[in-house]
Amino acid sequence: MGSVSAKALEVESDYKHDPLEGFPNGRKPREIKTTLEEMESAKIPLDKRDYCVDYLMKFLECRNEKYPWVYKCHHEKHEYLHCQYEDYLIRMKDYERNRRLDERAAKSGQH
Amino acid sequence: MAALIKKALINPVLRNNGIHRLQFVRLAAYWNKDWKPGPYPKTDAERIAAAKKYGLLPQDYEPYPDDGLGYGDYPKLPIVSADMKDSLYNWDYPEMKRDFGEPMNTQYDVFTEERLSNARTRFSAKFTLASFLGVLGGFLTLHLLCEYNDWYLRHPWTPPQYPNQGKTHYTFEPVD
Repeated sequence: MGSVSAKALEVESDYKHDPLEGFPNGRKPREIKTTLEEMESAKIPLDKRDYCVDYLMKFLECRNEKYPWVYKCHHEKHEYLHCQYEDYLIRMKDYERNRRLDERAAKSGQH
Repeated sequence: MAALIKKALINPVLRNNGIHRLQFVRLAAYWNKDWKPGPYPKTDAERIAAAKKYGLLPQDYEPYPDDGLGYGDYPKLPIVSADMKDSLYNWDYPEMKRDFGEPMNTQYDVFTEERLSNARTRFSAKFTLASFLGVLGGFLTLHLLCEYNDWYLRHPWTPPQYPNQGKTHYTFEPVD
């Protein structure tokens, strides 16, 4: 199928090639507004502390308020899942970009 | 228990149907050598005698085929399970639904009232199996048609990206 589990990457950066190469207008860096203390206080599992924790925190806050009628949090849930979808797109495009740069490097290395 | 051990020590080899071997187990059932069926009947006179012995009319008597390991002259009776026999008739042995002297089927203990029944079923076994497989096959078809349509969401992707680990990650949007 498709999902790539742990690949050997360099320690300093997750990108093998320069991530800003070929982007004349640059790339916006990913950011979160949640601090580590807030994440620890909410006991978010480590694998969920990615770039979508803001939406996750909002969703959990909504759930806490509206429990047991958690179906009323469908908007927050949709926002969180949309963030996850965007994350999937970014990672998928990054993988494809990496693959094509590798191909290009291999070809230019050959010739 | 002590008597058994004593028996085993003093009489180490007990005779058991002519086979000499140690015996530490006894069966709860009772068997009598007089109950052993005779040999397979070869002549007509033997057949009539065997039918009379088992209380059957000669035209009803049919022994099991003789393959050397069979039942001798014991009759091959039709299989009638206990739940197919009349409940309201005044049997001599009502628990077994049997009269005195009635010959018993070789496999009668399988066809008691609380065990197997050979009543005819509303649907044949083939039909039942076919409908079972048909229903499950329908479920399987629906599953295969509906559950594998997200192949376009299964591109290879990079490992998960976590913030605040000393690494920077980028989106694909231009800096404003």
